[in-house]
Amino acid sequence: MKYIDPVCGMEVDENTQYKVMYKGKVYRFCSQQCMDAFRKDPELYLREGPKGMPK
Amino acid sequence: MSLRIKKEEQLKIIGMHCATCVNTVTKSLKSVNGVIQAQVNLASGLAKVEHTNVKLKDLVKAVRSAGYDVLTEKVTFKVSANPETFPQIEKRLEELDGVVDYKSNPALGTITVEFNPLQIDAVTLGKEIGFNAQPISQNLTHEDLVKMEYRDLLRKLIVGAIFTPFVVIFAVLRLPILSMIFSVPVQFYSGLRYHKGAYIALKNATTNMDVLVSLASNIMWFSSVYFLFEHLQTFFDASALLITFVLVGKTVEAYIKARVSSFLTSYKPSKARLKDGEMVDVSSLKVGDIVVVKSGEEISADGVVEDGKGEVNESIFTGESTPVLKKKGDPVLAGSVLVNGYLEVYVTRPSERSYISQVEKLVREAYSARVSIQSLVDKVSEVFVPVIITVAILTFIVWHFILGYSPISSMLFSVAVLAAACPCALGLASPMAVLVRVNNAVKRGIIIRNGDVFERFRLVDTIVFDKTGTLTEGTFKIKDYKEYQEGAMKLVSAAESKSNHPIARAFERSDLKVSSFEEFPGEGIYANVNGHDVIVGKESFVKNNCDWNVNESGDVLACIDGKPGAIINIEDRIKEDAFYVISELKKRKIRVIMATGDSSKYADEVGKRLGIEVFKGLTPNDKVELVKRLKSEGYKVAFIGDGINDAEAIKEAFVGIAVSNGTELAKYAGDVIIKDLKDILTLLSESNLAVRKIKENLGWAFGYNAVLVPIAAGVLYPRIYLPPEYAALAMAFSSVIVSLWSLVPI
Repeated sequence: MKYIDPVCGMEVDENTQYKVMYKGKVYRFCSQQCMDAFRKDPELYLREGPKGMPK
Repeated sequence: MSLRIKKEEQLKIIGMHCATCVNTVTKSLKSVNGVIQAQVNLASGLAKVEHTNVKLKDLVKAVRSAGYDVLTEKVTFKVSANPETFPQIEKRLEELDGVVDYKSNPALGTITVEFNPLQIDAVTLGKEIGFNAQPISQNLTHEDLVKMEYRDLLRKLIVGAIFTPFVVIFAVLRLPILSMIFSVPVQFYSGLRYHKGAYIALKNATTNMDVLVSLASNIMWFSSVYFLFEHLQTFFDASALLITFVLVGKTVEAYIKARVSSFLTSYKPSKARLKDGEMVDVSSLKVGDIVVVKSGEEISADGVVEDGKGEVNESIFTGESTPVLKKKGDPVLAGSVLVNGYLEVYVTRPSERSYISQVEKLVREAYSARVSIQSLVDKVSEVFVPVIITVAILTFIVWHFILGYSPISSMLFSVAVLAAACPCALGLASPMAVLVRVNNAVKRGIIIRNGDVFERFRLVDTIVFDKTGTLTEGTFKIKDYKEYQEGAMKLVSAAESKSNHPIARAFERSDLKVSSFEEFPGEGIYANVNGHDVIVGKESFVKNNCDWNVNESGDVLACIDGKPGAIINIEDRIKEDAFYVISELKKRKIRVIMATGDSSKYADEVGKRLGIEVFKGLTPNDKVELVKRLKSEGYKVAFIGDGINDAEAIKEAFVGIAVSNGTELAKYAGDVIIKDLKDILTLLSESNLAVRKIKENLGWAFGYNAVLVPIAAGVLYPRIYLPPEYAALAMAFSSVIVSLWSLVPI
């Protein structure tokens, strides 16, 4: 099964080590950077969709 | 300054699985100063880097710190070079394309090179290194090489010891022709390794001890041939004595080296007894074989006791000499000794992966440490021999042309200078000290992976401890719990059964079906058990993901289907050693911090009882950040953890230490692997001793040359006169003393 990184919009493998549980749901990321960005402001990405790789 | 030439490098990147990885790797490569262009291809995994003057090592480091890996290969070479020549070899490797990193071991005469296989291969590498570099194959170990060297020296010494007395006797009896005849084997067989060594060094445009010995003995021998025809005094005896004396010293030194470097190998079993009594090579043992060990024998393989019982001495691994009783089901390690009893052991690991083999491999890497003072030594070594040759020439000029002595007497002073000077002691000073201390640490249950840790650990002023399993036993028990939904604990137990976290073991086993499972390191877990969504973890994690509408809390919270399920309080015992070790560290003015993922009040309690600062509720990444922050504040931080969950923090720290009783050593990160907390204090004393020994050895090496070279040149003549052969004896024993002094544990 493929997952979408909610920060950069890329496809992510199920077994990635970068994942966060937010409001009872699991989100997967392609990298530490995306995961950190999500943690900072999860609502932003859930509301407005992927924004590309964080700077 | 080297030219700024544009170069292209190809690297094989490992671990890229999505398009973002490509960006991350590209970015990391471009961040290296000097990189002009970097192209990374996801499909082929190849990175093409265009750069000016960037070291391959920095590129690889950049990729690795971004969380990916670069394909590299490693090969170990045996080189025909003396310790003092290694700086030149290293310089050559620095300039060679395709070399990522190298670790040299001047004491054993080996160098391990990590290289980019896309750019260079082992054979070319050996040619580029020069000095007859031979790759060490599997069947030829370091020990074999060191022993071969020892045996070669011994053979040459025996020949020297047999013929030299005749050379001397005939010289005393004034029979110079016989003296010459008997000196030929000494000069050209026993002395061959020095003439050959000198030839190899000069061919590689460098100089070493061999050049001095060869020059000194050949000057005396060939001039004596001339003197023989001119009916003047000859010095075949001095030349033969010189070579023999040098060989005595070098043989003793090689013996010490062989003993020290094969200390672990000597414990490695070679044969195993099968159940039917047949003796086989340990390398042929497979997992599942049964080996028989009788009283007084070495245990031949890592395994579990299948039958029998007996007392086993494991001091080689633990430093503890009291034997431990082993019975059915207990693990045993190859290399430990069955003091009494009888054991049948079920082999669980092939011999090449046995614990002792792993230790041997790690420790061998540690031998190749480079201490900071070495760069000064390298600079001195580089100019040492040319300076000595200059001094020898000046000595001749002064005695003959200024003071008016005969050419023969002047020559003897000059040759004595060549024979007295000892660059070897300089080259041996720090490698020998590190070798001995690393071995000593192993004997006390401490496995050193980086030999330079001795130098670093002394400077540490802050130690960050992980809590669970490091300061505490790590065996959790459930103190009490409260269920908000009936059967919640059963669901939680089932979810925990999938986790590797130490807390998970506190829960009873459960047979309920777990259909999906996610672990969030440092936070908690999610599982679907029998169709229920189960979230278990620390307070903040569970509350963020659950409608937590009760006003109570515990060490661990459990949420079932979005509603409060249970609160669970956990307990763990502080290790007995912890109190003592921490008070000792504090006495040494070391700041002690506990960093833990545990966010419960228990974390504060542990901190309070131990009297240390507490940072709690940290994820593994937070621990890395904590170490980074302390470092940026100027602290020299050591991180001590279990080596797996804290791997990143351990790597980030100035000194990383893993505390573990596990036997799969490669799993653990860190410069050092220790078995219990008290080892920290041992490591500290070993570090102080190692650094002191290095300094003393270097002090001796420098001091010896500073005193003996002028005496050999005749500054105290006629009060003190040092003939060339005795100068050589002093020289040889100067490096023996460095080796011996490294061994003395005071």
